[in-house]
Amino acid sequence: MNRSLTGATVQIDLKSPTLNDDEIDYLRSTLREDYDLIVRGVELGDDSVSPPIAAAPTTHTISQMTDAPTTRDGEPSRIVPCTIRSGQIEEFPQGSLIIYGDVNSGGEVRAGGDIVVLGTLRGNACAGTNGRLSAVIIAMDLAPLQLQIGNCVNRSTTNEKPPGYPEIARIGPEDVIVIEKFVKF
Amino acid sequence: MGKVIVVTSGKGGVGKTTSTANLGTALALLGKSVVLVDADVGLRNLDIVMGLESRVVYTSMDVIEKQCELNKALVRDRRVDGLMLLAASQKNNKDDMQPEQMKAICDKLRTTYDFTLVDSPAGIERGFRNASAGADEAIVVTTPDVSAIRDADRIIGLLQNVEIEPINLVINRFSPQLVGNGSMMDQADVLDILNIDLIGVVPEDSGVITSTNRGIPLVYEDGSPGAQAYMRIARRLTGQRIPIPDLEQKGLFSNILNWFTKNR
Ligand SMILES: Nc1ncnc2c1ncn2[C@@H]1O[C@H](COP(=O)(O)OP(=O)(O)O)[C@@H](O)[C@H]1O
Ligand SMILES: [Mg+2]
Repeated sequence: MNRSLTGATVQIDLKSPTLNDDEIDYLRSTLREDYDLIVRGVELGDDSVSPPIAAAPTTHTISQMTDAPTTRDGEPSRIVPCTIRSGQIEEFPQGSLIIYGDVNSGGEVRAGGDIVVLGTLRGNACAGTNGRLSAVIIAMDLAPLQLQIGNCVNRSTTNEKPPGYPEIARIGPEDVIVIEKFVKF
Repeated sequence: MGKVIVVTSGKGGVGKTTSTANLGTALALLGKSVVLVDADVGLRNLDIVMGLESRVVYTSMDVIEKQCELNKALVRDRRVDGLMLLAASQKNNKDDMQPEQMKAICDKLRTTYDFTLVDSPAGIERGFRNASAGADEAIVVTTPDVSAIRDADRIIGLLQNVEIEPINLVINRFSPQLVGNGSMMDQADVLDILNIDLIGVVPEDSGVITSTNRGIPLVYEDGSPGAQAYMRIARRLTGQRIPIPDLEQKGLFSNILNWFTKNR
């Protein structure tokens, strides 16, 4: 168990419906007592051939992905109605994440698709983990420590304050992340 | 029924113990019954800051181990009515105590005292969990620097996870001069990141150090800016609505005053 996760809030994605309520309660209390992880929600899948408990998140290498999506079509999104604070990770590999708050430094958001932060993004954001290279990161104030889209990583180089208007980060022509003023699609 | 408030921060040395001692004394001076609980097992110092070191006989560990009754373990502060201290054991360490045991102590104190203030150790591990186990509310202390703020942010997330509410912020060691010349974050910057309610701003005050060494909380020195800030926070804790004065403005003003006195 990664020590840095101590005290984090986690979402459990169960790819199998074979756990009953008692078993889920047990999982919840074990994670809480032994690992200090707070379970925010448990999602039950209905795909009974998958392993019972989702393993630790895998970091995909885009080149390994043969069936990476190319459009947003059919991509679900999840709304997170709060600020992601230091030490917290919000993850949604299936699609896009919309944060009704800030992502503070020391906090992290990871999405299969796009990431939209309706506050200040100060921490780390990793978009396009499903391999869709058109994934973008949009924030009202973009002041991240680190951005990642697909395999492209961009570390903050300046200590400048964000410009005061929304910005968008995407993969530009030379396979580097470019940050621009956000204009409507 | 009283309130149990944990005073915490994540980072060490930002002023948790100083704030606990001063807010507790201030609340007692306002006529409230108060007990201060040192939850920094193994590194206790609230008793020193309160000047009660020599009077500590029993600690919370003795209560837990049923060596003595809770009431007998409380040290009375003779300078003001209604102020008590429950010291931490110095010979044990944080893992010798369970969060439930601390919670049981807080649950008892809540029935008798208007305010139970729990001085938390630094960190996010067992010591913090012990300190917050019995808390209804929290006061998060931070200094206006990025590392203290990041730790405060971490702690706020953990407090929110266990549904401790409200969580109020104290910004300590604030220096209007340093904000004025751009080398310290201002109040708005700190609040923008932490996004919780501000209950007070305590200025950098050299009186804190002398009062710590003498074991006399600063709030007894009416005139000092730190004492006034702590008295205002205590009043806000009792539900009085007192605006937070704009220290930055005052800073500018005293800067100008300083300039005049220096250049006279
Ligand atoms: N407002 C202040 N002005 C000046 N010094 C302060 C102030 N608040 C705290 N200090 C000093 O900072 C040090 C750490 O304070 P303390 O309350 O022991 O922190 P903590 O309990 O968070 O570790 C002490 O030496 C104390 O005197
Ligand atoms: Mg302390």
